[in-house]
Amino acid sequence: MSRKVACIGVGMTKFMRRAQESPGELTAQAVNLALEDAGMDISEIDAVCLGTAPDAFDGVHMNGDHLLAGAGGTNKPYMRHYVGGGTGVMSPIHGWMHIASGKFNTCLVICEEKMSPCNPHPAGAFLTIFDRVTEQPLKLTLIHIFALEMARFMHIYGYKEEELALVSVLNKHNALGHPAAQIPEDLTVADVMNSPLLSWPVKRLDISPTSDAAVAIVLTNERIARAKKAAPVFIEGVGFRLDTSYWCSRDLAYPNYVALAAKDAYEMAGITNPVRDIDIFEPYDPFDYKALHHMNGLLLDKTGKTVKDLLFSGAFERTGSHPLCPSGGAMGVGNPIAATGLMKIAELYFQLSGQAGARQIQRPIRRGVAQAWGDLMQVGTVVVMGSEGAPPAKPTRWSTMKREDLPGTPLKAVEDVPHVADAPDLSYAWDNGLGITTYLEGLKKGKIRGSYCRRMNHLMIPPRAFSELGNLDPVSDYFDLADTGAVQTYTISHVDWDSSPLPDGRINIFAVIAIDGAGEHVGLVHLLGEVEPQNVAIGMRVKAVWKPAEERTGSILDILYFAPVKGKAKTETPKRIKPAEMNAITARAWPGKIPLTYKYTAGVAGAKFYRDLAAGKLSGTYSPEDDTVIVPPAIFDEFSMEMLDEKNAKTLNPNSGVIKSFTVVYEDRGGHLLAKPVVIVQVCFPEAEGSVFGRLDTTDVEVICEGAPVTLVKPKKMHGPDQVVFKLK
Amino acid sequence: MNVAVLGIGLCGFTPTSTGLSYREMIAKAAKMAYTDAGITIDQIDGAVTVEEDLISGYSIADEYTPDQLGVVRKPVYTIPGDFLHGIGSAVMQIQTGRFKIVVVEAYSKASNILTKDELLRFAFDPVYNRFSVSPHYLAGIEMRTFLNESGYSLEDVAEVAVRNRRNAIANPLAAYGGDYNVADVLGSRAVASPLTELMMSRHADGAVVVVLGTEEKAREFARKPVYIAGTGWASGNSIIERREHGVSVGTEIAAAAAYKEAGIVDPAEEIDAFFVSDLYAHRELMHLEALQVCPCSAVIVNPDGGALGGGDLFEATGGARFYEAVQHLRGEAGATQVEDAKTVLVHGWRGLPTDSCAVAILEAEGRNHE
Repeated sequence: MSRKVACIGVGMTKFMRRAQESPGELTAQAVNLALEDAGMDISEIDAVCLGTAPDAFDGVHMNGDHLLAGAGGTNKPYMRHYVGGGTGVMSPIHGWMHIASGKFNTCLVICEEKMSPCNPHPAGAFLTIFDRVTEQPLKLTLIHIFALEMARFMHIYGYKEEELALVSVLNKHNALGHPAAQIPEDLTVADVMNSPLLSWPVKRLDISPTSDAAVAIVLTNERIARAKKAAPVFIEGVGFRLDTSYWCSRDLAYPNYVALAAKDAYEMAGITNPVRDIDIFEPYDPFDYKALHHMNGLLLDKTGKTVKDLLFSGAFERTGSHPLCPSGGAMGVGNPIAATGLMKIAELYFQLSGQAGARQIQRPIRRGVAQAWGDLMQVGTVVVMGSEGAPPAKPTRWSTMKREDLPGTPLKAVEDVPHVADAPDLSYAWDNGLGITTYLEGLKKGKIRGSYCRRMNHLMIPPRAFSELGNLDPVSDYFDLADTGAVQTYTISHVDWDSSPLPDGRINIFAVIAIDGAGEHVGLVHLLGEVEPQNVAIGMRVKAVWKPAEERTGSILDILYFAPVKGKAKTETPKRIKPAEMNAITARAWPGKIPLTYKYTAGVAGAKFYRDLAAGKLSGTYSPEDDTVIVPPAIFDEFSMEMLDEKNAKTLNPNSGVIKSFTVVYEDRGGHLLAKPVVIVQVCFPEAEGSVFGRLDTTDVEVICEGAPVTLVKPKKMHGPDQVVFKLK
Repeated sequence: MNVAVLGIGLCGFTPTSTGLSYREMIAKAAKMAYTDAGITIDQIDGAVTVEEDLISGYSIADEYTPDQLGVVRKPVYTIPGDFLHGIGSAVMQIQTGRFKIVVVEAYSKASNILTKDELLRFAFDPVYNRFSVSPHYLAGIEMRTFLNESGYSLEDVAEVAVRNRRNAIANPLAAYGGDYNVADVLGSRAVASPLTELMMSRHADGAVVVVLGTEEKAREFARKPVYIAGTGWASGNSIIERREHGVSVGTEIAAAAAYKEAGIVDPAEEIDAFFVSDLYAHRELMHLEALQVCPCSAVIVNPDGGALGGGDLFEATGGARFYEAVQHLRGEAGATQVEDAKTVLVHGWRGLPTDSCAVAILEAEGRNHE
């Protein structure tokens, strides 16, 4: 049987639109606070696990390894996990595995997201969550998929926009009591309804903001938890489920994956009736409707009646019988994706241990559930936490916490501080394989194609070479299908893939279309045309409008859009075809690109480094813990995880450097041969621990050796590694 | 609780894999692993997929993991790490007692990434470490420090490149077997001195799927189970200005944990073969030092050819070694078979710019498990 696992401490930064701190610095601030709160030293931590969602936000490939030092992972077992937006609640589950397995006694769990470096807008990172061949050419972004799901949810469960706005109002109000909150506010339903329409039915105030933040918690086994805390909060149940990535072949109204994850967690926690057995709910609420969508899953009620009754009776208020997002949720506290989920776990900890201060539920509570969700509307992560009785009412650090007490430095603009810009060239050519090649060949011929799984009696679009629901059986039955179908859901969008407004007041109507002859939910996403927005309806019959044959290239864009069927269109029956013949010519690859650029703040310590460098100076930071000066400057010591005081900056002699190691590099950043090799040196300074990496300005690579003295060159006023240049003395 | 390997599957390893999508490649490896394990998909309790966003070319790459493993709507999560980090996580997951059979997957479509060096550079700290030169500069810095501090010579490093590529000739799965000599390696094109082209592994495509389960499940289903006697993973400092570049601290800590779990006191004596990350030739020597094994002794290292002979498969690199290790313990490794292999060690490294490493110790059925 699993060992019991408890949460005994929490740390977090402010949630901010734009933080000055580097990702590592944010992470270290949250970790430092969590360790203090748990009354522990980093040396008492056996393992560290970290959650962060896409690398495209922070703008660092292998971001887990980049965050390692800030996470306290140096010289420790360290692992990153992720399930997109579901990461934040997966994180304590991964931490739970570390301890429940018996392998470790303590585990530090951190979630970080710094979305602000990403340009043109963090939302642009979501273009590449869509299938690269069948969906990305349509220039979709996250708001579109949410809007499509929201419209379907409203249609199936009979919600009006005004009713969904109640959640936005509730959560933003609840956030007024949260010290980390980014956009707490007292709003009315009318405010939400009157906010700018982005992609019907989604309006600005239906959505959570983009945010920078980090959250950390300390998990331990039962013995340590009881020794450290009078009232530990235990993880009683965990569940996580991942549905298919073919989201146009799925029920978008009810989150089956959340319900399955909840069932797993409830079974482990011994919960048989969630409405009766759970006192507080922290479902993921990146959009207002999502909280209700997820609650249907968490309460295992596909009819949606329970949630509707609770919403309209006021039971979701903090004073009600079933408080919803008492923290203020993503809508009010902010939504640094992975960190949001862990903030919800932190809220259960605060509430169940009586430390929620102004947000404290004013009646005895014993059990709460937190949930996160993500990917292509496909993952559910669920954690049930419980306390053992009435927690002490005396004030604690967290019950009295103010926003100004929390670490984190909000910025108005990245340009206000030293920063580094970068534009990576991330280019790809993806092998399409048999299934997609057959699909694209069909599109070129003006046909929508699918393949058929005999085991499941299931027609799949786009065609697959194997059946994901049918035991991975190879599939050998391919069909040309009708190019007609019915609109399952739609959105009227005013924004482009990067969140910028579409030019000239243009709109795009995206729809999920169930193709005739395939299963109930089996279809594809595309544009609608030849129809006024007010005339679009779910269930509307549409037919593909194709480009002229000579202009078709074998792309989803060979279909211009789907237009309403005028009069009575005949439905073609599927016609069996021969799949693509794969050879060296037909097996072509599909081009790919990550279309993002970045502006990174240099961080608090990096700003010091580059400001000094611009003046031809160099400084380190004094670490009292081990009485050394460390270079480059830092706001934390990655071994002790103690924060370092900026005032302890120590000036170093920029002419006292000595080459520790060097390399003569013959290729440029893209791997092409350089006309002239470049020397990179690692330079140490006698008064400091650490080193500085830079270029060596030399014409003679033969004279370089370890131990050679160098001086730092005063650069132009630009910032970035290439501006760090040394000269041989 | 003992955790066993029930089955293994792969697709690859080749410089390109035109004609198969990543999904089709993984589905092939998965079907092979499930068949080898003697299980059906409904018996699987969950999966750990080992992926990085920008290697897969997606934001939130884990979206695209469940279908090709046949595990739609099951508990699935993703570990960005080496394949062996995924093994470590799956072992813990089983040891919680709530999961009986868990699948681990990793793949490489390296041939589909057109700007691999740009991608690697993107893993470096943007504020201090992202220069406009090849990101392999850090391997050059590291190799020079290692040579200065360890006493190994350039020729010792070149020997590794020669031996692993030669071992790979007999391995039908390896992409880059070949007969070279030390002079060939030292005289090959300079990339980031003292690193030359033949000291670096080249990328390849492939997928690896492994089925892990409880001992009870292994006895029930598996044709030839192999046991995981110990796992460990750890990371050295990610701040490269303050990392010791001559040693792999990550490997030292990971190995110490795995040895302790497996009850191994004298690794060179008790372990029959070492499958060790050799993405750069000097890293194999550095890793062996950290594993407390003297490369000069009679230990068997990377009999399959390692990554230098087999190819750099990104996250799946440790998976290729893991697959080979299981084959050796089963006595099914063909021409490269290590005679009477009973205990083997598999090591994985995340690659630059990290010192994040993982270790697994595998045992053939018999020892400690009667």
